[in-house]
Amino acid sequence: MPSCAKKYEYSVNEIPPPGHLIVLSIQHIMLMVMSLGLPIIFANQLNASPEFTSALIAFSMISAGLGSIVQAVRFRYLGSGYLCPNLCGPSYFSLSLSAAWTGGLPLMRGLTMVAGIIEMAMAPVIKKLEKVFPNYIVGMVVALVGVSVITSSVTSFFGLSFEGDAIRNIDILIGFFSLMVMVLSNVWGKGFIKMYCLLIGMIAGWVLAVILVPDYWNDLMIVKSSHWFAIPSYGPGFLNIKFDLKMVLPVLVVGISGSLKSFGNLLAAQKISEPELKEPDFTPLRNGLMADGLSTFLAGLLGGMAVDTSSSNVGLAAATKVLSRWICIVAGIIFTVLAFFPKLLMALSVMPKPVLGSSIIFSGCFMICTGFLEMFTEQWDPRKTFVIGIALFFGLSTGFLPSLYARAPQFVQAFFTDPLPTSTIVAVVLHQIINFDQWFKKEEMKGD
Amino acid sequence: MKRGHLEVFMHNLKNVISILNSVLLICLLIFSTGCRDKYSDIDLSMYQYRDTKNLVKFVYDSSLLVKKDGMKSIEYFKAHRDLYNTTDHYLYIYDMNGVNLFHAGLPEFEGKDLSEITDKSGKKITRLVLEALNNPTNPHAWVHYSWWEPGKFFPVPKSSCHFKVKTPEGHDLYIGGGMNYPHEEREFIRIAVDSAVALINEKGSESVSEIDDPTSQFNFRDIRVFIFDSSGEFLIFPVLHELSAELEVLDCIDEVGHKPFRNALKKLEQSDFAWEIFMARNRYKRQLVKKSLYIRKTVLDGKTIYVSAVTDLPQPP
Repeated sequence: MPSCAKKYEYSVNEIPPPGHLIVLSIQHIMLMVMSLGLPIIFANQLNASPEFTSALIAFSMISAGLGSIVQAVRFRYLGSGYLCPNLCGPSYFSLSLSAAWTGGLPLMRGLTMVAGIIEMAMAPVIKKLEKVFPNYIVGMVVALVGVSVITSSVTSFFGLSFEGDAIRNIDILIGFFSLMVMVLSNVWGKGFIKMYCLLIGMIAGWVLAVILVPDYWNDLMIVKSSHWFAIPSYGPGFLNIKFDLKMVLPVLVVGISGSLKSFGNLLAAQKISEPELKEPDFTPLRNGLMADGLSTFLAGLLGGMAVDTSSSNVGLAAATKVLSRWICIVAGIIFTVLAFFPKLLMALSVMPKPVLGSSIIFSGCFMICTGFLEMFTEQWDPRKTFVIGIALFFGLSTGFLPSLYARAPQFVQAFFTDPLPTSTIVAVVLHQIINFDQWFKKEEMKGD
Repeated sequence: MKRGHLEVFMHNLKNVISILNSVLLICLLIFSTGCRDKYSDIDLSMYQYRDTKNLVKFVYDSSLLVKKDGMKSIEYFKAHRDLYNTTDHYLYIYDMNGVNLFHAGLPEFEGKDLSEITDKSGKKITRLVLEALNNPTNPHAWVHYSWWEPGKFFPVPKSSCHFKVKTPEGHDLYIGGGMNYPHEEREFIRIAVDSAVALINEKGSESVSEIDDPTSQFNFRDIRVFIFDSSGEFLIFPVLHELSAELEVLDCIDEVGHKPFRNALKKLEQSDFAWEIFMARNRYKRQLVKKSLYIRKTVLDGKTIYVSAVTDLPQPP
């Protein structure tokens, strides 16, 4: 790999010097922390006590941290060996909430474990899908990983917490400033500045937000009241695990959809880490899905929220050309340890929304463009135009027209969920249908 | 090799320290200049939406102006109408007899006695405002009704908050601000239910018809304060006016099989009030919609009763 190493600041197997390793890991943690909003919202919805909320956050962090470590290692059947950390998965949020309402935390834990098992069961099947994922579809999947963060990033960029609420000019200014610092540090900066562009942009945006908006300053002051060190406690809700057969079907749909999303993230991580590969190498992808499934299972077992691979972190790796999997390991260790330090955790989690939004937009850009570039490296023909075009029409329409799909027949609703899984399913099916004649031609040629 | 790594590490450490120093310096600057929130005198923590907080701040700012400059400030408001009539909210000032002194969007109202003005459903708006200003459970004197947007020809739902002010000249006025198509805040049902409980405690049985009255403060938009007793029998039905239907309240389930009333009543064994969240289906949305139930326990004619209302919760963007 010596020639490849020059294309990167740090290639996938390279170990950065300790100082860089730690700061680069912190840069990734800043993005991972954003997902902790999910357990907080979740606990709010349940009117849970502060102790329950702290425990839920801590167990989610431990699961995500351990999951990140497992993802970065390369065992024979476990871990992709790419920089693709775990965080609390938004795909599982609605299901977790329904489960918690119906059967409390024990049912949520049980279903999270089942979702993990489904993902692990999907892993060997993914290997068999080698033939149905030609490069141009892989490119589309990678691009859609970036597309899938558009909603969360743009609403955060505008500082929105709730649907239909007011947008402040000052938030737009903070978001724009933060984004520009990240982009210009990346484009004009070299070495240190380029490598830490996201961290520099985040700090600059945060400082500006604190100076300009008293609310952000007040948020930061809340940190004072938290403890430096605390061991997450197992309250009564965390002692049992339950299952409910009635919820198996929704878990199955969400589990498969989550697996496809993780597959997209892992594929993107592979694409940016090993661009010299002419076709996807399905072994690390299978192992990565196995690791992701195991982390989700572990989250259920521990009492945290289901975890998922992070698109934003893969995008950040692409942006900074820092792809070392050791960063994922150190970030995982720090994230796990951070679960025991509420004050530090709180300080990170009150990051102003516009700053957070600009970070996700920044990393999403790379995902979208990497995908498009990959898509168009092949000779293009009308078959591909229709496969990709139709897949994008229906996939993106799930984001543009959610109310249309709310009135659609049940079987359509089950498969047309989000842009990423929908486009992937449509593209894979269309590729087979449109190229049906080619399959016969190949058979004839074999016969000749 | 090891020495090389150490040098790089030290170099990085210096860089990190210099960044941290800059951040620290800026933080100290903020500390020293003082970054005090000018709204620290009013509690806005009960509101979830920024729109609602902005309206309260807007009216509060204007009330401070009236408190300081008295009747002179009204001339200032009239000269700067555009500032006080925006797409988000607008300002008005009345005396305590219901005479309009200033209306940012409807100057033709100025000088008129509007004490008996009603909306399309018969709500006496000025009377409701005066009640709200004297209601200790309604700190920002919220009133909900339907009104019109200047220049339009159809009613729009509206929520307004108010502050009472004594001018330096000794006049008692109230300053109000309204917003069209308001968000449903949890605080709005908290005020309605707590006010209903206060009325029950004060007037007993005769309060029930007042709470049931569609033109009262206890009924607005899709929100309705309802009452049931411990056997599940309704004194005020949650959906229909002057008509009760069969509804096993404790067995009511939401879209995910959750029993909000049963759970709320369990919580009420330990407390006088409870919030319970449940899910409802909106046919135009893919995700289930979150709603909240606020319930309070009190006693009427020696029997325990439950006073409650339901509202929408903020949805993620």
